[in-house]
Amino acid sequence: MAKFIQHQLFYPHPPEIVWEYLTDPELMALWLMKSEFRPVVGHEFQFRTKPIADLDFDGVFYCEVLEVVPFKRLSYSWRFGPGDARPLNNSIVNWTLTEKDNGTELLLVHNGFEKEVYMLPIFGSMEEGWLKNMHKIQQLLNTTTNGTAPA
Amino acid sequence: MEQHRLDAFQVIADPSRRQILHLLSKDSLTINSLAENFDMSRPAVSKHIKVLYNAGFISIQDIGRERHCILKQDGFNELHEWLAYYDAFWGSKLKKLETLLNDKLNKK
Repeated sequence: MAKFIQHQLFYPHPPEIVWEYLTDPELMALWLMKSEFRPVVGHEFQFRTKPIADLDFDGVFYCEVLEVVPFKRLSYSWRFGPGDARPLNNSIVNWTLTEKDNGTELLLVHNGFEKEVYMLPIFGSMEEGWLKNMHKIQQLLNTTTNGTAPA
Repeated sequence: MEQHRLDAFQVIADPSRRQILHLLSKDSLTINSLAENFDMSRPAVSKHIKVLYNAGFISIQDIGRERHCILKQDGFNELHEWLAYYDAFWGSKLKKLETLLNDKLNKK
């Protein structure tokens, strides 16, 4: 059972370029979401997306920059909830960039969801589904690193 | 009465409620035997049980004069849906980033 969300991809660009896309609000808006992000520890910002009624989610991610190591590491808190000033759920988004084979290996780990949730034995029953997911990611990853990413 | 139905994360954010789920993951228990595991009053335990019940984490069955609490999958599904959502969310965002970066490479 995965205790967090993890994606790893290889991009044939130096970390400096990938870093720009992770930290420049204009470039971020092209692939992630609009925001007033600044790569400064303690800076608070929001991402906005469509609300999801099923998940009781108002469509706002409340973030605060936690760590900035230029071209190497970036992390921000990622809180979300139903709105109406009701309590938010905690989580953390972590980016790690590693220079490799004339490109950058980008690792995303989204973790820090309410602690110990995934330690509950009942989560074991979901293990199979998650393993399948991880295999899918692995496949994607392989096609990506081979430079023949599917459209 | 809960003013709002708490979402799955909020439900399990409380340590007492997590402990109740842990206890029930081993065996179904009556409200009384659950309460024996806690220092808090029985009404306080009942309140947590009600929250878990409302969020679909447990079901309650009356057997004789006792109320039995049983673990239920529904509440856990919501947590799973969130994780599945974020997994798909980042998967698609990172694909977009890849397309952007590839375009950049091709323009050179």
